[in-house]
Amino acid sequence: MINLQNIEKVYRTSTIETLALNNINLHIRTGEFVSIMGPSGCGKSTLLNLMGLLDAPSAGRVEIGGETVTQYRDKELARLRNQKIGFIFQSFHLINDLSVLDNVEIPLLYRKGDASGPSRRQLAREALEKVGLSNRMNHFPNQLSGGQKQRVAIARAIVGQPSIILADEPTGNLDSAMGNEIMSILQQLNADGATIVMVTHDETMAKKTHRLVRLFDGAMVGDSVLMSNA
Amino acid sequence: MLLNYIKIAWKVLLRHPFYTFITLFGISLTLTVLMVLTSFLDHLFGSHYPEVNRDRSLYIQIMIRSDSSRNSRQTSPMSFRFLTEHVRPLKTPERATIFSFFNASNAYVGTRKIKLNTSYTDAEFWRVNQFTFLEGKPYNEQTISSGERVAVITEDFKEQYFPNAEESAVGKDIDVENTRYRVIGVVTGSPITRLFTHADVYFPYTAPKSNYQRESMNGQYNAIVLAKHKSDLPAIQAEFQERIRRLPVPGVDGDFKYANINVKSETYVNNFLSIILDGGPGLKAALIGVISFILFMLIGLPAINLVNVNISRILERASEIGIRKAFGAPVRTLLWQFIIENIFITFIGGAIALVLSFGIIQLINQSGWIAHADLTINLSVFLISVLVCLLFGFLSGVLPALRMSKLNIADALKA
Amino acid sequence: MIRHLFKLIWNKKKAHTLLIIEIWASFLVLFGLSSLIVFNVSNYNQPLGFTYENVWAIDLRNNQDTVAVTAKMQTIMQRIRSYAEVESASRMSSNYPFSASTMNNNATHDKATAMAYLFVADGDFAKTLQMPLTAGRWYTPADSIGKFRPVVINQLAKDELFGNEDPLGKVITSGDGQYKVMGVVETFKSKGEFQGDKPTIFEQLNENAPWDKTVLIRVKPGTDAVFEAKLVKDITSMAPEWGAEVTYLTDSRQNQHNLALVPVTIFLIICGFLLINVALGLFGILNVSIARRRGEIGLRRALGATESSISWHFVGEMWVLATFAVVLGLILAGQFPLMNVFDLDTGVYLKAILISVVVVYAIVTLCAVYPSRQAATVQPAVALHEE
Repeated sequence: MINLQNIEKVYRTSTIETLALNNINLHIRTGEFVSIMGPSGCGKSTLLNLMGLLDAPSAGRVEIGGETVTQYRDKELARLRNQKIGFIFQSFHLINDLSVLDNVEIPLLYRKGDASGPSRRQLAREALEKVGLSNRMNHFPNQLSGGQKQRVAIARAIVGQPSIILADEPTGNLDSAMGNEIMSILQQLNADGATIVMVTHDETMAKKTHRLVRLFDGAMVGDSVLMSNA
Repeated sequence: MLLNYIKIAWKVLLRHPFYTFITLFGISLTLTVLMVLTSFLDHLFGSHYPEVNRDRSLYIQIMIRSDSSRNSRQTSPMSFRFLTEHVRPLKTPERATIFSFFNASNAYVGTRKIKLNTSYTDAEFWRVNQFTFLEGKPYNEQTISSGERVAVITEDFKEQYFPNAEESAVGKDIDVENTRYRVIGVVTGSPITRLFTHADVYFPYTAPKSNYQRESMNGQYNAIVLAKHKSDLPAIQAEFQERIRRLPVPGVDGDFKYANINVKSETYVNNFLSIILDGGPGLKAALIGVISFILFMLIGLPAINLVNVNISRILERASEIGIRKAFGAPVRTLLWQFIIENIFITFIGGAIALVLSFGIIQLINQSGWIAHADLTINLSVFLISVLVCLLFGFLSGVLPALRMSKLNIADALKA
Repeated sequence: MIRHLFKLIWNKKKAHTLLIIEIWASFLVLFGLSSLIVFNVSNYNQPLGFTYENVWAIDLRNNQDTVAVTAKMQTIMQRIRSYAEVESASRMSSNYPFSASTMNNNATHDKATAMAYLFVADGDFAKTLQMPLTAGRWYTPADSIGKFRPVVINQLAKDELFGNEDPLGKVITSGDGQYKVMGVVETFKSKGEFQGDKPTIFEQLNENAPWDKTVLIRVKPGTDAVFEAKLVKDITSMAPEWGAEVTYLTDSRQNQHNLALVPVTIFLIICGFLLINVALGLFGILNVSIARRRGEIGLRRALGATESSISWHFVGEMWVLATFAVVLGLILAGQFPLMNVFDLDTGVYLKAILISVVVVYAIVTLCAVYPSRQAATVQPAVALHEE
């Protein structure tokens, strides 16, 4: 599903050059639930950004769902992000000025020619039902708790039925109860067929996944399959 | 403290050159328009050459007569005779002048035609108004009663009429509508915007075609009454009104039967307004509506714009404000800091506007758009502008500052 | 998507109030300006109805001379007509074309009534001004014998008084007099190109009356001030007390143009500055707001927005804001045609509204283009990491 070959990422400013990722080779198969761990600044988020096509590598090859995206232009990248990938962020990134339903609907807005207004809202409602928030559709994000916000974000990530879900410390801002709740939703999504890549700091969360990739100073230092979950 | 504020303000301005530009652009443009407008109004209504005594003068321009049913109404200037009878005997004023409104005429020199405006005046005209005589002198009562055909001309007319501008024009003849007049004085012209004193050639009222012998009450003459002191104006108005009130009504003048006569002596501004607003209350309302709309747009729009820019600027500085608050700066201090910052920038804008206005005014004066225009930025224009600057800076600073002071520290720091 | 933008703006309406007011005010300023311009342009496009080149107006004043005024006037007319330089001459009332003075009066026919501009002129008027007649003919001295005084009217007066009826030979009442229509001219814009055509009546001049002493003459091309001086000299020798002032119609036309155009120009300059001011302000505000919303931009990019859809998003937001402002503005501007303010044609207001709407959208688009481009270049990853 996701294939990274010889990835290198260098951040350049006028004075210094930082090597954020160094020679990463990673292959993630369809249906896998992978967690990425490592200390702050090790390049986890950068790696996730590359997989999510939010950023381009300085060198190497990125393949998503069999498509090599190296030569892709903005339009094609946007299409891939929109159709194949769903994002979940640590700080939720909901738009405060829009209602829950409107927030969830956003990815569908960027989908060409698809779905009329009513059918978009129907899809958004279904996604919210899946995360158990159908009673909060007309609330605004600042009226929700952290866990609820993250569930809205998950609904938004799955509304376009992507095959890949990328989660950047989805439980990082939540207490453990809420964190577990989010985690079980993710596991359910994985069971329903989604490929999930999750960056986390939390060992207990990581242990609930199939495979654990460890990064240190921009390099892959470990890749273990957690057979108990697979 | 203030100096400290100004230092900070200066640094803030330099830090955001783009916003500084927008703000300054808006402020200086608005103030320029206001300054030029004030200057123009001052040019129209202030006491300027040659009507330097305008502030203690009353203008008698229009006589309104109507019949008993008020169906028929006649509005016109008055005859020389009527004004002589009713203005000359007034006891309160220092002096009074009777003169005709200017009239267009032509003079011919060789193959050239010179367009000119002529006015017939009495001798007092030269005492009530302070013309600058470049050559010669004005005509006096004696010249007038002797019926000499003399004329006072303006410098511009002299240059057009006489090929050799170096030579004095005094003693030379001019020919206007087939009558010859001897030039006895040359003055600096009065701009066309001063309708009472503007003309190119001034004749004694006894000159041909002046119609001073006219028997009717209406005619083509106006009067300016000069008070000894500004405070005498109401007394003069009362005395004049008393005379007008005693005029016998109803009466017949020519073939017009009138039952009411109304002649007002007004200060220049009031006279001007009463003539403009003569169209009745509907026109007055429309005029006031249009003027206030334009003023609102002229000041309101840039002010709203400034407030908008300021609000977005202040939000950009939210974290700075948060830190200041976190370190214990009271809200009021922050408010003042912002307002002073705004007033400071407004004054920079004001200074730019002053330079711009000065340029535009010079341009207007020199373009010949208004002949003899003498727009200036005098003290009153300047003070009004400074006041407007202050108001502008204050208004556009208060609203954003209030919004800023409401900012919660935690939010401010996070942003 | 449009719905999405509307929601986004609507939910933030409090923060956007001032911005909307600003655009609203700009719209009203534009509406005022374009009304003025459309009005003048539509007037300009109407034919003038006469020619003015080489036509002079001689304004005669008898001053204190009351002896045999009509006889002197007739002698003067004869003399004027005798010059080789004069192609045609016509005596008329003092409100000659492009002059500052006007005469108007209510005219009625049956139940129809019109406020008509009135010109008193002799039989050579149409010839002197080269006015084409669309129906009937200009009156001649022979017509003065009839019971009614002859008049010629313009098309507008015909429309207002007679509708589809044929006006020739019909009688108009105006003031105390009754007049018979002899002919119709198309238009007569006596105050110049920028003034609209008004219902107009030309009444035959009574040559034995002492008033109406303005003479229009058409001179041969190339006639100069030497002839003019001679003319004035001759007239004032015939009647020494009299004044004679010659004005070229080209000059008085210029005066009328200035009268119409100077306010428009001043208004245009001030509006121009106001709008530049507003545009810069919008530009600045948009820049700040985009800088503040980098996180949101990044998110939208992550969710699949292309660069161009981000650009369009911000342009779209401005359009929505402008739409709110314009709708509010339309409520006010719409009153002008509905209540017939200033007595202008409804078409003028509608065109002005259309122009203002287009310009407002053009301005906000222009202001939004650059900041929106900037927004589109925001890298999704960078944007998300900012917070």
